[in-house]
Amino acid sequence: MFSAWELILQQLVNGLILGSFYALVALGYSMVYGIIKLLNFAHGDIYMTGAFICLSVYGAVSGVLPGWTGIAVSVLAAMAVSGLLGFLAQKFAYRPLLSAPRLSLLITAIGVSLVISNTVMVITKSQPLFFTSGLDNSLGIKFGSITVTYIQIIMLAVSAILMISLTLFINRTMMGKAMRAIALDQDTCALVGINVNKIIGLTFVLGSALAAIAGGMACVYYGNVQYNMGYMIGIKAFTAAVIGGIGSVPGAMLGGILLGLLEALGTQFLGSSWKDVFAFGLLILILILRPNGLLGRSEIERM
Amino acid sequence: MLKKSVLTSKSAKSFIAKAVASALTAVLLTGCSGASSSSNENEIAIGVISPTSGSEAYYGTDMVQSYQLAVDEINAAGGVLGKTLKLYPEDDGCDANMATNAASKIIASGADFVVGGYCSGATVAAMPLFHDENLLMLISAANSTEITALGFEQSFMFNSPGTHAALTLTDLCLSLGTTKAALIHQGDSYTKNLSDICEEALPKSGIEIATIQVMEKGAPDVSAIVTAVRNSGADFVYWCGYHADGSNVIKQLRQGGYEGDIAVGDGSASVELITACGSAGEGVYVTSPPFVEFAQGGDKFVEDYKAKFEVNPGNYATLCYDTMYVLKNAIEQANSTETDKVRDVIANIEYQGLSGLIKFTPERELEVSNFIVLQIEKGEFKLVEL
Repeated sequence: MFSAWELILQQLVNGLILGSFYALVALGYSMVYGIIKLLNFAHGDIYMTGAFICLSVYGAVSGVLPGWTGIAVSVLAAMAVSGLLGFLAQKFAYRPLLSAPRLSLLITAIGVSLVISNTVMVITKSQPLFFTSGLDNSLGIKFGSITVTYIQIIMLAVSAILMISLTLFINRTMMGKAMRAIALDQDTCALVGINVNKIIGLTFVLGSALAAIAGGMACVYYGNVQYNMGYMIGIKAFTAAVIGGIGSVPGAMLGGILLGLLEALGTQFLGSSWKDVFAFGLLILILILRPNGLLGRSEIERM
Repeated sequence: MLKKSVLTSKSAKSFIAKAVASALTAVLLTGCSGASSSSNENEIAIGVISPTSGSEAYYGTDMVQSYQLAVDEINAAGGVLGKTLKLYPEDDGCDANMATNAASKIIASGADFVVGGYCSGATVAAMPLFHDENLLMLISAANSTEITALGFEQSFMFNSPGTHAALTLTDLCLSLGTTKAALIHQGDSYTKNLSDICEEALPKSGIEIATIQVMEKGAPDVSAIVTAVRNSGADFVYWCGYHADGSNVIKQLRQGGYEGDIAVGDGSASVELITACGSAGEGVYVTSPPFVEFAQGGDKFVEDYKAKFEVNPGNYATLCYDTMYVLKNAIEQANSTETDKVRDVIANIEYQGLSGLIKFTPERELEVSNFIVLQIEKGEFKLVEL
């Protein structure tokens, strides 16, 4: 049993960890939308591919590199493969449609999503795969009856470091500046000598690699990988991105963490069958009050 | 499991299919009247209806093989009433439409008895056809209460209905001294139904329901549920869902500091649960269907089955094997293959089979639960005597 403040604190910890997952995946959604106004519905499947590659590579290297070294190598491999996958999807499926109506692009994204998840479904024969690292996930710190495991702390730290580096990258580097410029006006960027295609490609690689890290972390922490695991998290991350203000990187982080916290508190105080009703009800309210999301800017239609 | 969900979606279609199939059968039978009885005087024909194609093919095939094993043994020992048993398997594809076709074929082939039934939806669709022909149907695996609700006097259900899982669970809780139990399901018809049954059954034995939680299918993080369960003061958690998500729940319960007992339902009764849970799975209980590995005399069955079919027997193998022996004993006792006579014998039979005691209530359901309790111990399932 918990005391009242311990209970709330423990649920806040739970929500923060879940939220940082959502945030990592939401970042990719938001970056891609910010730059080419595409809702990349395949993003959840890229996350799933990351988890899948992480599990497969760890299975192959764990004999030589057990524990954290092996996990690090597997996550790096997952980032590479997912980054490549994101790049290929962009190059062959999205780029030819950049000047087509937005709806065509959206349908293509749904198609890419189905192609990826069904391919993995065929490879895994729809069976869930299980990750066993031999690490003891239950080790951690206790404050009274509040438990925080080391692996949760590591995940939180990794998410924080990634989000800070990404913000710095976008705001302090030339590449980041080019990304922001393309978000404003692609044609002018091309005129001033920015390689638009290259920067768009880079955005996809970055977003996909972030999703792969989230997938890898899910694989290590939760331990099971299924071909359809990207679907629900894709929807949740998309929601998080919209709440934060789609296109805004800090907004995606804020939205993800907010959604995680709302779900945790909803589970505690209304019961798990009502948590989504509670979380999404509040989110609708936020959108009514701030239609562009918490940190989104209202867009000026360009003619 | 899947058996239940098929029912609702197909029921409307199956009604039409049933009507069409009945009409077809009627045409077929009048077309070849007289030829419908067993073609061979020295043979007792037994139709088998089970899904040997589609998503449930593994279970359907296992059923046919289990019947075949029993039939071969019986024939080798001299048959029944001087006649040999012969199986006529038909595929119901776990689909109501296919099931009515399969039933028509079985009827047309002149079967004396029918065994089988895996998916409840398909089984319920086929039953009226056999009923019209006054054929005895022994249902080995399907266990929806909708089957007995039809009230057909010549159908018997050899598998425990879901309500029996709750009885076995109650016994387990009482032996562990549980005071407050938490139930976790996944919101779909099978897992929700199991949770509902337990919610009703446990308080009758003085076990309080501390909380009922719903885990979204495939949701990665359940720590909020874990915290809610710990806060409810539950000393027992029953997971009503399937093993893939179940392993996640079990691991996070332990990571989140829950120290009470954990049990899982038959949807999670798979050896994969053990691999998936790793060390967190130690001590977890399973209310399981009667796995042959834990049956008395099961070793010989597994050996014979593997020798014959080169695979391991499945979850419902013992039930099918027992079904065939009950039929054999009943025919011998009745000294006849007439439906009504054999039916009366089965209604009063007491047969100790591999799957447990087979004895029927007036509703033609099993009287005693055949669920067994297993516990994960050092990475293996061990039978728990309650």
